[in-house]
Amino acid sequence: MLELLVFLLCGGILASGLLAVGLRSVLAAAVSAGLASLFAAVCYLLLGAPDVAMTEASIGSGLSTLIFLYAIRKTRNGGHNG
Amino acid sequence: MAEHILLAAAFLVFLGVLLGVLRLILGPTVIDRIAAIDMLTIISISLIALYALVADRFIYLDAALVYGVLSFLAVLAVARHLDRGL
Repeated sequence: MLELLVFLLCGGILASGLLAVGLRSVLAAAVSAGLASLFAAVCYLLLGAPDVAMTEASIGSGLSTLIFLYAIRKTRNGGHNG
Repeated sequence: MAEHILLAAAFLVFLGVLLGVLRLILGPTVIDRIAAIDMLTIISISLIALYALVADRFIYLDAALVYGVLSFLAVLAVARHLDRGL
C-alpha cells in the first residue's frame, strides 16, 4: 500500500520534471517545477519526515514559483514562448 | 467496514492523482495545467489527511494544515501574472 503510493508519487515527480524540461511555454514549465516540489513534499511525508515536508511545501512549492514568476516578468519578452 | 471505506478513499486518491497528471501532460493551454496543479494540491492535502488516519500519527495533520494555508499562493501568483503582471 505505502510502497505503491510512494511509487505513484515518484512517477509524478518524474512526469513533472520531464514536463518542466520539455515544455515550450516558460510559465507552464515554472508551474510544473513547482508541482515536482509538491509531489516531493508528499513523498517526504510518507517516508516519515513531516518537518522536511512542511519546509519543502512552503519554500519549494510557494516561494520558488513566486520567484520564477518574478524573473519571467522581469525578462524582456514576458515569458511568451521562448 | 472502516477498512473498506479507507480502501475506497485510497482508490479515489489514486484515480485523482492519475487523472490530474494526465491533464497536466495533455493540457493544451497554460490554464488547463494550472487547474490541474490546483486539483493535485487539494488531492495531496486529502492524501496527507488519509495517511494520518491510516498510520495513526496525527502530527501529519499539521503538515496538511500548512499545505492548505500555502497552497493557494502559487495559483494566485500565476493568475495575477496572467492578468496584469506580478
